Amino acid sequence: METTHIRNFCIIAHIDHGKTTLSDRLLARTGTIAARDMQEQLLDSMDLERERGITIKAHPVTMMYQAKNGETYELNLIDTPGHVDFTYEVSRSLSACEGAILIIDAAQGVEAQTVANFHLAMKKGLEIIPVINKIDLPHANIPQAKAQLEEIFAITGDSAILASAKEGIGIEEILEAVISRVPAPKPTGAPSLQALGFDSYFDTFKGVVTHVRVFNGELRAGMHVRLLHSDRTVEIKEVGSFNPKPYTRPALTVGETGFFTANIKSALDVKMGDTLTDSKNPSPVLPGFQEIHPMVFSGIYPINTADYEHLKTNLAKLQLNDSAFVFQAETSVALGFGFRCGFLGLLHLEIVQERLRREYDMDIIATYPSVIYHITLTDGTMKEIDNPAFLPEVTYIERIEEPMVKAFIICPNENIGDMMALISEKRGSILQTETLDARRVMLTSRTPLNEILIDFHDRIKSITRGYGSMDYEHDGYAVSDMVKLDMLVNSDPVDAFSCIVHRDKAESRGRALAAKLKEVIPHQQYAVAIQAAIGGKIVARETVSAFRKDVTAKCYGGDITRKRKLLEKQKEGKKRMKAFGTVNIPQEAFIEVLKA
Amino acid sequence: MTAAALIMAGADSRQPAPAVETPPVSSLYVHVPFCARKCDYCAFYSERANAKTIERYLDALGRELEMFAPRLKPQTIFFGGGTPSLLGAAHWERILTRFDQFGWTRAAEWTIESNPATVTLDKARLWRERGVNRVSLGIQSLSVELLEYLGRVHSRAQAFHAFDLLREAGFANINVDLMFAIPGQTMAMWRETLAEATAFGSEHLSSYEVIYEEDTPLYERLKAGQFAVNDDLACEMYDALLEAAARAGYRQYEISNFARHTSGDATEYPSLACRHNVNYWRGGAFYGAGPGATTYVDGVREANLANTVKYCDSLETGRRALEYREQLSPLARAGELAAFGLRMNSGWPYARFRELTGYEMRVEWAEEIKILEAKGYGVSEPDRFRLTLPGLRFADWAAELFLRVE
Repeated sequence: METTHIRNFCIIAHIDHGKTTLSDRLLARTGTIAARDMQEQLLDSMDLERERGITIKAHPVTMMYQAKNGETYELNLIDTPGHVDFTYEVSRSLSACEGAILIIDAAQGVEAQTVANFHLAMKKGLEIIPVINKIDLPHANIPQAKAQLEEIFAITGDSAILASAKEGIGIEEILEAVISRVPAPKPTGAPSLQALGFDSYFDTFKGVVTHVRVFNGELRAGMHVRLLHSDRTVEIKEVGSFNPKPYTRPALTVGETGFFTANIKSALDVKMGDTLTDSKNPSPVLPGFQEIHPMVFSGIYPINTADYEHLKTNLAKLQLNDSAFVFQAETSVALGFGFRCGFLGLLHLEIVQERLRREYDMDIIATYPSVIYHITLTDGTMKEIDNPAFLPEVTYIERIEEPMVKAFIICPNENIGDMMALISEKRGSILQTETLDARRVMLTSRTPLNEILIDFHDRIKSITRGYGSMDYEHDGYAVSDMVKLDMLVNSDPVDAFSCIVHRDKAESRGRALAAKLKEVIPHQQYAVAIQAAIGGKIVARETVSAFRKDVTAKCYGGDITRKRKLLEKQKEGKKRMKAFGTVNIPQEAFIEVLKA
Repeated sequence: MTAAALIMAGADSRQPAPAVETPPVSSLYVHVPFCARKCDYCAFYSERANAKTIERYLDALGRELEMFAPRLKPQTIFFGGGTPSLLGAAHWERILTRFDQFGWTRAAEWTIESNPATVTLDKARLWRERGVNRVSLGIQSLSVELLEYLGRVHSRAQAFHAFDLLREAGFANINVDLMFAIPGQTMAMWRETLAEATAFGSEHLSSYEVIYEEDTPLYERLKAGQFAVNDDLACEMYDALLEAAARAGYRQYEISNFARHTSGDATEYPSLACRHNVNYWRGGAFYGAGPGATTYVDGVREANLANTVKYCDSLETGRRALEYREQLSPLARAGELAAFGLRMNSGWPYARFRELTGYEMRVEWAEEIKILEAKGYGVSEPDRFRLTLPGLRFADWAAELFLRVE
């Protein structure tokens, strides 16, 4: 296809504002898929994605559309992950486009995620087509949505297309706008092939299938192609596009989007965002590449120690499809053998855990998540620490820096007070307060990533009774007074509960953990001391009193078998207990606390 | 023809009958599965009494007892429940006549469990006249509010009245059952119940902590967070029990059992200890008849179906109504015997244990004995191993140590 007749675009929207419904409509309207074959929400192919109403993996779809001017255009819809954890994935997908459809829900207005994604699209210089969706709803407020476009994004309200993806209103106008407003791709002028690999998935038969956008030259089967960042050369086996099922094409030319396969065995072998070029006549790299760095770490352990190898195999399987997920073996005194896993963010962590549980049927437990701290030592060297176990002695530490985020929080006016209290509780500072409309404000804050990991989003939802929304972008590092909190059982540290926390929060966290541990550690025949310690200083203490009996119940002839079985079970259970000095603690107790 | 005879007739006739003499079984338990209403803590099998079902049950019971008769020479008989005292005089007439026909009425100890609300003078006299010589009275508590909380059908006044009736009918061996650590029970309430109950002057006292069995209303209330278990209080109540029992002249012979000692040697247990129960802890053989009852003969444990209708259905077609059957390996059996026998204050005489199991306790469980001794929970005497008084409180742990899981 001539580049003048190709358009590459994506859709950015807040969860539930109708991105998937609109995508499905576009597929149906262009005849890419017959309406009767449409599953609801076609592009979200993982169950988990469907359940959470978010798209995790991006699938580019090629549509052929005959425009009102009579010409046929190749429209490539590049779907983007809808969550900030996947910022880099979003930004890679955006790099493959020249334009973006920005969806705003006519009833709900602009939400936090819309803002974060809009910023990304602007950074990439994309042409924005605003679409006000769900205009059929009785409480749709079109003037207000237009006003927000102008105030928040500086986009003239009149440029917005009014649509209802559900009712099929405005679909044609959107397609026409893509053709008239989104610029056609232009060759870069480099001497040979330049293509961007922006995502991949693993196929049992073909190996890694890489999503690719050609910026210069053309990509065809049989070519020897150099992956510049991954530093390897591969032979292209197959190229094609998705409609939305994959189909083979003779070549992908300038401006076209699709996939290639090249007998690549693991997602780890191709860095996402890599530039492909001709191996004999190489062109320079495309701009915008970043190495993927996990931001959040957590230990994942099999509940049943015998499942260790099984877990390892399944983690490796997940990684085939998810190069952002990293893991390596680690051991814990409390939990045994497991893996230190790195994730893009908390949602990514939850998704990996859920997939292990559901798709791979694994019983696992995860330790308290940690971010990466920058530790400057007294000798001036800098260390990155994501596991409290490896935090150097206090005397060697000059300073600790923690990762920060810029968080956008949108909430009803009446919740501003509570929201500011929450932000301050989370050690954040408010950078800006903007009025969105008569009902809502947007707070922009700078907050430590560590603080938003656990319950920040849930708290926002509960304060605002579901009306608030939050999104964030990474915002560098800041010096912070962080300390290591250790939990001791009869003076022996229990590694699974050690964490790096801000000094102001260490004591209350220590107290909460000690109280929780007291609940789950079974009475022993002697008293057990549970302590929370910062450095050598004890900040909280609980005691599990010794129990003075384990039996006073009756037991006659008819009770013996049942009683014996119960005692046998207990005996077996004790074999799985971990001994801390003289204290035996069942693994289940640790799991209870980690679950809480 | 009895069922046992049928089995013999059906056996391969070419095989000569085994020459090994099978010793008679001297203990019989009969389960009476009917209750006026089920107590909130009770997980035993029982159902509301219904005239027709009672008739069927009595027939089925007769058939089952017939099957046991060839090997059964009961020295101890125990009617438990359910609520055996719920059966009417006519029902008892039938049962007792049948027992007479079997020649079982001269048992040295014959106990019937009774609820204070269903004991009448007529019934008590009938029992006594026909050979029953012991009654276990399920008083549980003398606090009005706790009786109500537990869902017991009897009142405080009925407890006193029932005891008097039994004495009047001539029972000289009565057990009083008490429960402690009942949700809502204070130490003061417990002390008062203990004082009043020991003042009855019964020959025997059984007292145990409330057990939260799954599928009981009490367990549901616990799960629902309506109350919390207070281990420390339970422990203090147990201390108070030991103290009150001793003061009233009872001797503890098992974790939750106390009896008077009126004659002879008391090395093993006091003279008025419940022999039927002692037989359980000492690994003796017993037959169990009735729904849900357990039999333990020749090292094989069998449990009946815990459903009266199914129990009757099966026996009406001439088959025993078994729910399961288990036979442990010799070592597992010995471990079990050791574990449960240690519940008795007198522990295990080595010679007796060796005789029953073939294992030398001091050799096979040397390590476990050492662990218990080190904690002061066990003591090796020249002829026996026993748990100390502090050790008896950890009898479950000791049992766990002795069990051999296979």
